[in-house]
Amino acid sequence: MPVLNKHYRRYDFESDLEKALNRVDFFRIFHTLALRYGFEHFGILQLANEHETSHLAGRLVLHDLPAGLAEAYDKRHRLNDSAIFKSFYKSTIPTVWLGDDPAENGAAGSSDFLEQIGFDMALAIPVHSIAGTRYVVLFLGDGEDIGRNAHYEICYEANCAFDYFYRKVLANKAGMGLTPRETEILRWISYGKTASEIALIVSVSEHTVNSHTATILKKLDVVNRTQMVAKAIREQIIQ
Amino acid sequence: MTATVHILLVDDDPAENVILSALMRKVTSYAITLHYVETVEAALDFIRAAGVRLDMILMDNRLQPQADFRETVPELRRNGYIGPVGVISSSISDAYFQKIDDYGVDFRIDKAELDPTAIEFILREYVKHDISAGE
Repeated sequence: MPVLNKHYRRYDFESDLEKALNRVDFFRIFHTLALRYGFEHFGILQLANEHETSHLAGRLVLHDLPAGLAEAYDKRHRLNDSAIFKSFYKSTIPTVWLGDDPAENGAAGSSDFLEQIGFDMALAIPVHSIAGTRYVVLFLGDGEDIGRNAHYEICYEANCAFDYFYRKVLANKAGMGLTPRETEILRWISYGKTASEIALIVSVSEHTVNSHTATILKKLDVVNRTQMVAKAIREQIIQ
Repeated sequence: MTATVHILLVDDDPAENVILSALMRKVTSYAITLHYVETVEAALDFIRAAGVRLDMILMDNRLQPQADFRETVPELRRNGYIGPVGVISSSISDAYFQKIDDYGVDFRIDKAELDPTAIEFILREYVKHDISAGE
């Protein structure tokens, strides 16, 4: 990952961002961000075309919502119908939604996202990746409102945190080089070893092996382990 | 239905067991049984006894007689434990914590950051039992 120079101002947030390694680290960063500004939870939503059906649970790429909440929401409501969802396609300006303002939230059309999901306040910060894909960093809580300076700060910090999260975790895609650990795991896969066997050999958890394997699949742009090994040999990544 | 998970806490301070047990009781979406030992050696004995299938090990970073996770976690791995391992510390910003992957650690978390939401997130990420959504 290219190191960002000083032109990219990250203030005192820089050290945490530079050190983040995995999804748990980014959970820590976003969760702390939420708590620091008086929210309880966060969610990062990937946006698709406005008219494509978007299930909340399916669009969340990282979140700390209570288990089952997004799925329960999807069973009863349509995210596409909510005023907050529609707002993402009208403007990229961050939006604040307050529970004591039901008419403004779309209650008339039974599309009041806040009431449906069970929080008093939401802050939605549209962001985008360096590849141009759109996401929204959503903060939810039971606060009354957010002040101007706090609003500016959380928006800036959410943008910085998302940028790192995208480049470090989400960006793995075809054509990117494999890390030494990924190449090592690929080699063991080519010898026919299972994930649990590789975990024992390499001294990591089975979860880590599976997560490296998923990354290799994406980077080599293949759909299964057989095609992975065939392509790796063809491209002389392994002998 | 609530999924049951077994977590082993390895920490030489019994007070941490009390604190973490209280935290775990606040997690509603999983029924967590927290087992507790004080040393890596005792953890290995616990695993070998195989009374329960462990879903995760949470380790204090500094445990006697080893120095830190760079010695303790490889010891667990050498003995064949391939489940998730998380390291708890109050100094995770130290430079050597950037190498957790090299030492077989899955994740790190600051003591101050461990709350019921963090525990739920970690279980969702690392423990395979699917909880029935919204039921």
